[in-house]
Amino acid sequence: MRLQLKLAALSAFSVATLLTAASARAQVAQVDTSHTLYLESPTRTNMTVYTPGVDISATPADWITVKGGYEADIVSGASVKRKAGPAYAAVNPGADVITTASVYDLRHSPRGGVTLRKGDVSYSAQYNYGTENDYKSHSIFVAARTEAYEHNTQLELSYARNFDLVCDRVQAVNAQAPRFRSLEDSTGCFGGSDPLRTRHRLSIDGLQASWTQAWTPTFATQLAYTVQLLEGFQSNPYRSVILGQGLEAQEHHPENRARQSLAARANLYVRPIKIAIRIGARLYRDTWDVTSGTGEVEVERYLLEGFRLAGRVRYYRQTGASFWSDDYTGGDPPLGPKGQYWTGDRELSPFSSIAFGGRLTYGIAPTKGRIIGLMTGLKVGAALDVVQFDYSEYTLGGTPISGARAYILGANLSATF
Amino acid sequence: MTKPRKILSYCGLLAISCQLACVTVRPQQRAVLADPIMQFEGDPQTAAQLRHAIVNREGSYGGGGVSGGGCGCN
Repeated sequence: MRLQLKLAALSAFSVATLLTAASARAQVAQVDTSHTLYLESPTRTNMTVYTPGVDISATPADWITVKGGYEADIVSGASVKRKAGPAYAAVNPGADVITTASVYDLRHSPRGGVTLRKGDVSYSAQYNYGTENDYKSHSIFVAARTEAYEHNTQLELSYARNFDLVCDRVQAVNAQAPRFRSLEDSTGCFGGSDPLRTRHRLSIDGLQASWTQAWTPTFATQLAYTVQLLEGFQSNPYRSVILGQGLEAQEHHPENRARQSLAARANLYVRPIKIAIRIGARLYRDTWDVTSGTGEVEVERYLLEGFRLAGRVRYYRQTGASFWSDDYTGGDPPLGPKGQYWTGDRELSPFSSIAFGGRLTYGIAPTKGRIIGLMTGLKVGAALDVVQFDYSEYTLGGTPISGARAYILGANLSATF
Repeated sequence: MTKPRKILSYCGLLAISCQLACVTVRPQQRAVLADPIMQFEGDPQTAAQLRHAIVNREGSYGGGGVSGGGCGCN
């Protein structure tokens, strides 16, 4: 009897070991590739950003996953180079109070990382490098995650630190911010010895804590608190702002910014109609006095086995920064500026946006055999989102931006081997 | 209420919530929760793509991770 029990236990252990080994072999490597196209059409700018990316990960043993990837941003279009407001435009009829400049930029961003697992705890570390003609970024990321109560509770803590460099033009000796001139182009920014180019530091610390909880077999929630501290050059070096008669200066933002947000999400599966409903909300506030709220709802269901269709809507609203103004003229006569800082960045103006989108995903993971004798799983997806922006104060030389819209197309493919 | 007491109260509330939540879902009941349709971000790849495109056009941040590497958003 005891021998039988021992044999049974040994058999169970062998089967478990084989199953574990098989499952480890079943997903040894994964390749993900994604392509995103961002098309924007506000007045006088038509920014297009194409973002291809690929990630490869390998899990040679249950306790370790190694991954590497690459992403690029191919940017073309026009951006606002000189910003003026309606008051200036009114007293300078016919003057070129708003100019746009052609932009072409290419950002390369390779990355690599490792995840280690022991029991219910995992640790991740990743390094990102980003390089553009006028911007360099080194970023390290670490995270720890643990699960408790039979995997019903997940807690994660992550931290990232960026060491960035921003190109700028050398300003005249003794010149003050209202006399700073904007950067003409990125020629000689990095890798050259152009005496008219300099680099500013920007350090970014980000910390996030999240709590994910399964409450019932069909309901789970997630709470995430994020804080980010930025210190260094945060202006767009190319952009200038008209501050007064005959006075045009490079955009000038404060050098410190602390940002925090609290995000909550809920996921509910409604069995009778076989639909998953995701609801999310986020509150955000920073020391530049930007406050925002985001609400989103997404519903998803299987159309056929492996075929999922999702539809979503997202609403976003923010206040302007404390130093935001659509027109900085009107300061102390005879010349401005109105205030200590000035910006031409519409992302610091009060605005709202609403996005509608959909996503189609097809995933297969055969229980027997491999797809074309090679893959243990395959997933393809496509998404389209349309974002409508409503800028309540931002104008281009007094002309409101109307019909500002962006189209975001995404396609991705994942294969496991 | 003093600040440390407030923090302790919040931690207590969190701990109670965790205790209330513990083992409400047994492993054999996790079929729906484990399905890709119940991922918080829907499809993580698509969510990351959308976040990269949208967040760089807004003045706010957070809730979707903290990794960096530049934005390509001149």
